[in-house]
Amino acid sequence: MRRSVAITLALAVALAVLAILVILPFWWVMSSSVKATSEIVSTSPTMFPRSFTLEHFEKLLGGSDFPRFLFNSVIVSLASMALTVAFAVLAGYAFFRLRFPGRDLLYRAILLAYAFPGIVVLTPLYGMMSAAGLIDNPLALVIVNVTFAVPFAIWMMRAFLAAVPVEIEEAARLDGASRLIVLRRIVLPLIAPGVASVAIFAFVSSWTEYLFASVLIQTDAHKTIPVGLAGIIGQYQVDWGLMLAGATITTLPVLALFAVIGRYFVAGLTAGAIK
Amino acid sequence: MPIRRSQRLAARREAAFAALLVAPVLAWLGATLLYPLAVSLALSVENVRVIGSVGRFVGLDNYLSVLGSAAFWLALGRSVVWVVGNAVVQTALAMAAALVLEQSFPGVRIARTWIVLTWIVPTIVIVIVWRWLLSTSGGMINPLLIALGVIREPVGFFSTPASAMATLILINSWRWFPFIAVMLLAGLQRIPGELYEAAALDGASRFARFRRITLPLLQPTLFVLTVIGTLLSFNVFDIVWLLTGGGPANATTTLPILIYRTAFKGYRLSEAAAMSVVATVLLMGLALIAVRTLAPREEAR
Repeated sequence: MRRSVAITLALAVALAVLAILVILPFWWVMSSSVKATSEIVSTSPTMFPRSFTLEHFEKLLGGSDFPRFLFNSVIVSLASMALTVAFAVLAGYAFFRLRFPGRDLLYRAILLAYAFPGIVVLTPLYGMMSAAGLIDNPLALVIVNVTFAVPFAIWMMRAFLAAVPVEIEEAARLDGASRLIVLRRIVLPLIAPGVASVAIFAFVSSWTEYLFASVLIQTDAHKTIPVGLAGIIGQYQVDWGLMLAGATITTLPVLALFAVIGRYFVAGLTAGAIK
Repeated sequence: MPIRRSQRLAARREAAFAALLVAPVLAWLGATLLYPLAVSLALSVENVRVIGSVGRFVGLDNYLSVLGSAAFWLALGRSVVWVVGNAVVQTALAMAAALVLEQSFPGVRIARTWIVLTWIVPTIVIVIVWRWLLSTSGGMINPLLIALGVIREPVGFFSTPASAMATLILINSWRWFPFIAVMLLAGLQRIPGELYEAAALDGASRFARFRRITLPLLQPTLFVLTVIGTLLSFNVFDIVWLLTGGGPANATTTLPILIYRTAFKGYRLSEAAAMSVVATVLLMGLALIAVRTLAPREEAR
């Protein structure tokens, strides 16, 4: 079907609105993080920076605990990511490729867990962590992050596993390969994009987690970025430059990850929805 | 019959292998979700005030006091407003975005990927972004509105009860609509193009095609997404807590905020547990409906 001029015009306008809605807020924040303070708080905002300074970044990285938070966040997120990916690949393979009694019921239970309100288990988990001596320990965050990322991660594996032809597996089995070998040598390489998607999801959800980190971690030495940055906000009431620099640095790793595997990520997100 | 026996053996081996793969996740989730839930249940019938202290059995007293308190019902009401507001704004935005992204134009693949930008950016960044953009000193939105002549003086978006709730709903929907949009887009792309072509040949207008073909065929997807969106937005805590702290005058104190405050600021742990249990029952009921539509049937193999 060919488009009329009116439709093309409407599409262009809609696209522009969409781009403004998604990109402009981030552009404003990132470009403003290099503006001088006077330009940031000016009542006539500028679309492109007129001044250029790195003082906000210097203050953040040199004069606050932010580097510490950054380091903690990276460690916690990488560990949560590794565990989530391992669990999701193993369980996903079982749920979507094997037959076993109770499969549907268990899968439904895990889907339920995705919508589970974290606030409900916050106090009991605090009690458990405290009994285990894990309060103020980054390990506690890893444990919780995996719990809340793994249900959706398993769900994401579905489309990628469905794309692997069963015949390949059967052929390898006939050649005498064990099930574990088939999973590791044949299925795993074929679902690499799926593994990458799950990895980015697990990393990001751990990178952004605030609620549990705010309760389970108590000293600055072990805080992750969300809690640490929230603390900095309170500490320096209106130092917008510092906050904008913090927002920029926090966003960059996610953007970098997404630039590399974003395409697979969205594919995994949507393909899982297809029945 | 030897063939049937070997088949049964193979099936049993397959099940054993599957159990081995699933067991770690199940054990993990059992220890970190099911067990704590049971602890919550136990807490809710005792009178524990501070974490770690021992309480005594009080039966359903906490439930009675929670269900009899105005604060609980007000928070539940705000949660309903929050959830419904988000569902409406989010779905409308997502539908519009999905319809745009379904078209083909240069750069559409990039747009279909990067649309989820607002969803992958950490919450704390979202909080900083909007705090600053909506700030009354400097910021972006206020000066812009003044320049356009819409307002004379900077508006405090979080300073009145109604505007605080509305602003939060807009921000949260802005964050979540791309997620819904890519899901809807997947649904749209599954509608066979021939349907539209046939309808166009019969002289159906664009709007008629949308109403008679797109909407009905998209309905199951829309339904599931609405239920999931409801569950996920009910759980939202950090954006609200960090932007308004539940204020002004409790106007944005939704149920998760109230539970958090009751447990960690009010030191009434058992009461918070009772609220949690009530919230869980409500939510899981809803989730069961969604899962029934999402779980795999016989197509897994």
